[in-house]
Amino acid sequence: MKACPRCDSADTRVMVKSPVAGEWEMYVCNDCYYSWRSLEDPQVLPKFKLNKEMIKNLGVIPPVPPLD
Amino acid sequence: MSKVYKDLREFLATLEEEGQLVRVKEQVNPEPDIGTAGRAAANLKNGPAVFFENIRGYKTPVVTNVHGSWANHALMLGMPKDTPVKEQFEELNRRWDLFPVPPKILPREEALCKQNVIDKDINLFDVLALYRINEQDGGSFISKASIISGDPSEPDNLNKQNVGTYRIQVKDKDRVGIQALAMHDIAVQLEQAERKNEKLPIAITLGNNPLVTFMASTPVGYDQNEYEFVGALQDGVPFEITPADTAPHLYVPAHCEVVLEGYIIPRVREVEGPFGEFPGSYSGARLQCEVKITHITHRDNPIFENLYLGIPWTEIDYLMALNTSVPLYKQLKETMPEVQAVNAMYTHGMLAIVSTKVRYGGYGKGVAFRLLSTPHGMPYTKVVIVVDEFVDPFNLEQVMWAITTRVKPDKDVAIIPNCPGMPLDPSSVPPGIHTKMIIDATTPTPPEKIERETQLLETPKDTAKWEGIIRGLLDNLK
Ligand SMILES: [Zn+2]
Repeated sequence: MKACPRCDSADTRVMVKSPVAGEWEMYVCNDCYYSWRSLEDPQVLPKFKLNKEMIKNLGVIPPVPPLD
Repeated sequence: MSKVYKDLREFLATLEEEGQLVRVKEQVNPEPDIGTAGRAAANLKNGPAVFFENIRGYKTPVVTNVHGSWANHALMLGMPKDTPVKEQFEELNRRWDLFPVPPKILPREEALCKQNVIDKDINLFDVLALYRINEQDGGSFISKASIISGDPSEPDNLNKQNVGTYRIQVKDKDRVGIQALAMHDIAVQLEQAERKNEKLPIAITLGNNPLVTFMASTPVGYDQNEYEFVGALQDGVPFEITPADTAPHLYVPAHCEVVLEGYIIPRVREVEGPFGEFPGSYSGARLQCEVKITHITHRDNPIFENLYLGIPWTEIDYLMALNTSVPLYKQLKETMPEVQAVNAMYTHGMLAIVSTKVRYGGYGKGVAFRLLSTPHGMPYTKVVIVVDEFVDPFNLEQVMWAITTRVKPDKDVAIIPNCPGMPLDPSSVPPGIHTKMIIDATTPTPPEKIERETQLLETPKDTAKWEGIIRGLLDNLK
């Protein structure tokens, strides 16, 4: 399985295969949810690259409220 | 009585008859072809909707740019396709006042959106030809859904049911991310559910009657029902809805193409984005809400309607032009009858132009403050230009004239720091904070000091007659 084009994680999987069999597969990263198709050659810009540390520190929208 | 469309398909048929829809029959790739065509269609004057019949690997079609020109917008309202924008604004204002027109609730067997049911092995890709819209998007996005949610404390109160458009990222065959910004109605409902650690049921509807999509992206009051507005905009014809299968307190458009039913998973946030957004730039990755899809209903051969977003203008700018202008106009007019028109067509109202009579000195600034304190204007509008009542705010040449000849910058331009802002605006720093700017381009009025007398040029009496003569001579040249 290919590494994630965005966060380089090896934890990726096939998300779905084309409804018309054999045309393409789509992959998804289990760490950052980036997804891409086998027909693509994704070039994620450096400013959009992520790593585990950055993911933990991303902004939260909307904030999770306290429990009642 | 204006023309009313039962569903998206009837509207697409009209667009095709009017030369405002083209069909791409050759096979295309999901990326980059569909997104690119959306950009290209918006670049053309009166660009058409683009219908893709054959997308590699998919069994279902896509249509894009359905709202993407003033011609299509006029046809949506049942008006001739060459209707000027100002006339479309005035017609919308007239129909707006027919609100509320209660919707008609159809039994399940009469609702075309229920033709097919999927309740196990959910796979969105079997029903929707999903694709990446812009190159740096984090995945496939659904950009044109109308999402229905209810108020958890009053689930049966139709007035507190919300129909809104929020961007959706496909995360898996049965799971999507959704953006619920704090300022949006759905965030109010979500907070109530999350405080109790409860699921918030939602229905994501796709391929809607064009006026539903129009209303879903219109800023109306929290307790105003969008379906009652659709009936008003249909010139008084009630809109047809039907209960969702898994959450019968939620009502969905009866004849939409696809309904994805499910719930927002409480207290979970995962990576969402980037996504190319309406201000013409990407909004980066954030931790956002996740939706589990548990049930799908769809019409036979469902059409996936989606929109392209890019540097304005693209389809989203046509969709969010007059539906931003009209509610702001109505809210101002309620307390300030002097207001004549509002043009808030620029980047979802981040800039707004208001024309008004000036009752007394400083009135123009007062109008601007009023606009900046409306529910939509408060976070979204950053720049307000106020012009006299004889200036047409939809005519930018006239607006520029008003600014060049009416504005004394040291007294007529006001800068107000640290106000609420729109976080997707890249100039909003920190995201969610705006500095507002008011440009008062109205003519000075007492008690303001009139420092120089001005005599405006008048339009010669027979101008209209001469317009006719010259037009006739031009026609003779053809
Ligand atoms: Zn990743």
